[in-house]
Amino acid sequence: MKLSKAFLRSAAYERRFLTKNPWDFSMVVWIPLATVLLIWWIFSQTQITDLPIGVIDQDNSTIANTAVRYLEASPTLTVKQLYYSEAEAKAAILQRDIYAIVIIPEDFSRHILSGKPAPLILQVNAQYGTHSGIIQTSVQAVAGTLSAGVEIQRLVKQGMAPSQAAIAYSPIGIQRISLFNAATDYQQFLASTVIPALLHILAMVIGATTIGRELRDKRLGHWYRFISTGHPDLTRTTQNESTSGQILNAVENNQYLSKNDQISVSSHANEDMMERANVLVLLFGLLGKYFWPTLAFSIWAILALWLATPQESVAMSSVLATYAGLILLIMLSFWLGAIFTLGSFSLRMGLSATGFISAPSYAFAGVTFPYIAISDSARHWSDALPLTHYLKLHIAQLQMQAPVAVSLPIVYGLAIATTIAMTLTTLLTKRALAHPERWGAR
Amino acid sequence: MSLPPKDHLSSTTSDSTKQSSTPSFLGSFLQTIKDIFSDKGVLLLLLIAPIIYGFFYPWPYSTEVVNHVPVGIIDNDNSNLTRTIVRYASASPQLDTQLFLNEQQAKEAMWSDEIAGYMVIPSGLEQQVLSGKAANVSVLGNGGYFLLNKNVQMGFLKAVSTVSAGIEVKKNVAQGAYSATAAANTQAVPLVIIPLYNQTEGYGAYVVPAVSILILQQTLLIATAMLIGTWYEQRRHATSIRGWLGRIAALSMFSFIIGCFYYGWTFELHHYPRGQNMLGSLLFLLLFCPTVATLGCVLGLWFRQRERSMQILIFSSLPMFFVSGYPWPADQLPTVLQIIRWFVPTTPGINTSVQLNQMGASISQVSTGFYALAALWVFYFALLMWVRWHDANKALKTVS
Repeated sequence: MKLSKAFLRSAAYERRFLTKNPWDFSMVVWIPLATVLLIWWIFSQTQITDLPIGVIDQDNSTIANTAVRYLEASPTLTVKQLYYSEAEAKAAILQRDIYAIVIIPEDFSRHILSGKPAPLILQVNAQYGTHSGIIQTSVQAVAGTLSAGVEIQRLVKQGMAPSQAAIAYSPIGIQRISLFNAATDYQQFLASTVIPALLHILAMVIGATTIGRELRDKRLGHWYRFISTGHPDLTRTTQNESTSGQILNAVENNQYLSKNDQISVSSHANEDMMERANVLVLLFGLLGKYFWPTLAFSIWAILALWLATPQESVAMSSVLATYAGLILLIMLSFWLGAIFTLGSFSLRMGLSATGFISAPSYAFAGVTFPYIAISDSARHWSDALPLTHYLKLHIAQLQMQAPVAVSLPIVYGLAIATTIAMTLTTLLTKRALAHPERWGAR
Repeated sequence: MSLPPKDHLSSTTSDSTKQSSTPSFLGSFLQTIKDIFSDKGVLLLLLIAPIIYGFFYPWPYSTEVVNHVPVGIIDNDNSNLTRTIVRYASASPQLDTQLFLNEQQAKEAMWSDEIAGYMVIPSGLEQQVLSGKAANVSVLGNGGYFLLNKNVQMGFLKAVSTVSAGIEVKKNVAQGAYSATAAANTQAVPLVIIPLYNQTEGYGAYVVPAVSILILQQTLLIATAMLIGTWYEQRRHATSIRGWLGRIAALSMFSFIIGCFYYGWTFELHHYPRGQNMLGSLLFLLLFCPTVATLGCVLGLWFRQRERSMQILIFSSLPMFFVSGYPWPADQLPTVLQIIRWFVPTTPGINTSVQLNQMGASISQVSTGFYALAALWVFYFALLMWVRWHDANKALKTVS
């Protein structure tokens, strides 16, 4: 009874705060929503097409023209311009007008006719890794098609049947199949994994802020008194807020900085309550405090997974396991943010730690740069990040159609981590309540 | 009632700054430096965080190139020919092969991330090849991880084509061709790939120089907005135009030094291509840092609170990177985003820095980037002046 009251009171306390502070409200509602949609929108053209390249044709033969035509026909490339000197083409690369030059040497057709290998030369701007990779594969494919054509023609001239010539040219063919995400859809690959990474960052920030602002504004005791006893009642809080609004008349009402006001509140609360803070009341109070962000992020998580689930059949159980994983990741992020803040007694330090850990965590997660290639020492860091594990689950379930059982250990692991983090947050809150002299650090 | 000890922030409130109507450029410059050094939070973000990031961010990429990708092979033929293929595949530096009995086993290994792909050799392959029939092996890569998939496909492709070419050569020799010409004939149009600038095609060398500029921007933005937000809380934010310029100069100076540290030391340490156009790179920093600092001032006045800048800006790094045109071609973005992205300094910033420092472009070749940064600086400064005027007007109204 007392516990459910603590939960409800804390949720009511938080609701009042959020409705009065548009920035904090946005952090919970509008910013994550906008972020999910923005990332999806960024990658809405799911395939990279028409990367601009240049051609230097020193041969000017029919077969060289065919080569240029093949390059132009490749959906990922567009021949932006024909250049007549290498210097000119190089300047275009430096200006990023084009990302590569294909050079057709002057003896190209002569070599082909005389049965010698006639290389094509591709100079590609390898500094732009994505562009370069796609250009290399596409030009390679064009060279392969040209080779096959030349070879088969030669064998046919020698009197072989065309069908037989194709086999003789390449005795063992290779069927290249991309299991899962066969269309190399970047929305599936990047957007669907970046969105959980961003929700993770935002959730850690909210986790740090929700408890951190009570510390900063020296209102932690006030909050605890309210959730455990229902006093001071909410009308009194309003008066406090409006006085602070008058003192700093130029400041918007989302400011909580009237020092005198806070000192009076906290000094009342300090003495008797703090040492005897009940752990269970605190736990339910914290759950109430984080109720609105949890609710909001549960909805954003549905949106994120709805976007990330490809149209082809993904089993309902896989979607549910992924959703459970994402919710746990988000809750774990809330508590982690809170732990860093309560551990350092400072919202700013909590946010710094949050930023340091969560902002680059996508780079360590092994999606864009494979996990197996991450250097050994950095792999320990990668293993310690919850995002790494969640994304493994995400890709296995939503893209690789793995059986749910494969990923359940990750769900259990995240659940255990969340429980531990929640317990730690409660204990750290108790400790913070016992040290009012350290509140207010910026 | 006992007063808790006041922290340094509230005690440093100086009325003199507020009252002196025209603080000089130098006075404001020095005061800002003093405030930065007496504010742990700002100092941490402005100076210490970017140095740590200089080591932290390249950390996972130190192997640079992906090799020895674990893959599976299912050999249903088990003939001399297929054993040769298996041998060639395991000899490839790109692959680490292991044998599986059937596809189901391989798939399970793939789900639990033990292998990144596999090759299936159908039964009767040797027979088909010997009798001159069309024969195929299948290579199945994991499309969920693009870079791994590419490595799996390329590794197997090379191994199988080598064996395949060997067969063709043998046949040609049997038909009476000289073996040297026969070997040369297997690929009529070979492709010679010359990677420019990032010649080892390392992943860190590709990503880190660009991300460094993003780190530079984000740390400077957050630190500036945090400092201005703090001053706003203390009602010390108002100053003259010269005063603002002094502040911007002081804040930019720190990031300029960090930028030099990246160009001169971090990139060097990791052997990234660097310093191709050092003078240009320094000129770039001289323009980029004040632009970012000015934006930070505007944001600080908008947020009006010390910690707000961190809350809002921490998550914005990834989206800003994706719209910068570096990891993802900008002309693939929706049209509206192609315009909006120009309001962020990293949009011209990342490309200009990479073009100058990694590729060695001349300043005239990146003039668009320089003009864009200059225009952004003017725009942000005008915005700052507008907020200042707006603020002063409001204050005047409340007084009268």
